[in-house]
Amino acid sequence: MADKKIGAKGQAFAQLSPKDKMKKVGDLLLNNAMYIIIILAVIYISIKVPAFLKLPSIVNVVSLTAAKLPIALGIGGCIVLTGTDISAGRVVGLTACISASLLTTTFKVFPEMTSAPPIFVVLLLVLGTGAIVGLVNGFSVAKFKLHPFIVTLSTQLIVYGVILMYLKNGTNNGQTLSGLTDSYRSMVTGTLFSIGSVAVPKYVLYAIILTIVMWIIWNKTTFGKNMFAVGSNEEAANVSGVNVSRTIILVFVLAGVMYAITGFLDSARIASANAATGFNYECDAIAACVIGGVSFVGGIGRISGIVVGVLLLQIIFAGLNFLSVDANMLYIIKGLIILIACAIDMRKYLVRK
Amino acid sequence: MEEEKSPRQLRGLYDRVNISVGTLNVVIIALSIVLVACLAFGISHRGYQISFDSLGGTAVEDQKQMYGELLQVPEAPVREGYTFTGWYRDKDLTVLWDQDKDTITESMTLYAGWQE
Repeated sequence: MADKKIGAKGQAFAQLSPKDKMKKVGDLLLNNAMYIIIILAVIYISIKVPAFLKLPSIVNVVSLTAAKLPIALGIGGCIVLTGTDISAGRVVGLTACISASLLTTTFKVFPEMTSAPPIFVVLLLVLGTGAIVGLVNGFSVAKFKLHPFIVTLSTQLIVYGVILMYLKNGTNNGQTLSGLTDSYRSMVTGTLFSIGSVAVPKYVLYAIILTIVMWIIWNKTTFGKNMFAVGSNEEAANVSGVNVSRTIILVFVLAGVMYAITGFLDSARIASANAATGFNYECDAIAACVIGGVSFVGGIGRISGIVVGVLLLQIIFAGLNFLSVDANMLYIIKGLIILIACAIDMRKYLVRK
Repeated sequence: MEEEKSPRQLRGLYDRVNISVGTLNVVIIALSIVLVACLAFGISHRGYQISFDSLGGTAVEDQKQMYGELLQVPEAPVREGYTFTGWYRDKDLTVLWDQDKDTITESMTLYAGWQE
């Protein structure tokens, strides 16, 4: 069936006049400019440093993608609502610090504790923390009708303050938390399976499960359909009986939960957590969503797009890391990628209009 | 999902987009050129800067090294009344840089450890 579709498209293309053909090709090149640049860069990198295409490097990219996927899946929902969430990175930091302070052998934040609580209790605690921040974000966006930028900017600052104060607790004095329990670390970074001598960590599996869950939520539930309806036209959704406020609040709560999962996985993945953990994660996540076709127009986006977006970003940055490109330049490149992705997204929108 | 929208229904962050497709094309091409230029600049100036803070000892010169390499250990700094105990990743001197195992993954500053 897919072949037939492509065949029909090809036929329609052949019937166009040369001028229209040029325009079609130009459209195609411009709409995919970002992918073309990234693919060319990756080809260049793999010629220059052949080790980039070796198994350890590929597993590394996949693992990094898995680590950054949950936060992007969370933010994706906010972008579908024409919003965004810049508190995401700090929520990751807070939940990472909470996990690292409890599932540890040193207990510097809570000196009176002697043994680590069960892992799933801590997990529930951090999920709750993420959900509360999401609730504050969602409530303010839905009820005060404030732009998510402003709301999440304030929660970002508040959460950062909370992280700094939390780390001052006990005998820790603001230092990096480490000395995590073996059970916590092995639950997250333990070997899922090995290809040769290269181990694939367990959090790759968690990321796959989360992706499937989010796909079901987005595509198969009433909540998901409501989210797209509210994103594409709030008033129309309201008229057709969708509870707009509740949908918005739920999207942000769900996003908060996803950040909490990212934080929980991240502190075990890095084996430590401090005030800088999660810093700027939201930039990567927003960039990944926009590259993956989650449009700021609202109501448009797919889970598969987000996965591709995160993967592409991790490939290009792992590649540049292999080439030893300085981190300062990476910031500029990241910024440009976001800007171009937005311009392309806008272009698609204007052309359709 | 992608129903026709009249201009009045413009929403989202593109609510007030005020640009023609032609201009936008130029913007996209220009930004792409800047991006490629930045990539080229970054790649041609590749190498991570490794700085050494001798924390009171004699100064040690910066180095430039590539990803995945072992640190080329510089000559140990000297400080009167102290013996040098090695290079550390952090200023609090908690994480020692293992010269035989640790490989370079980013630009960084190493701090000298001293013992009286």
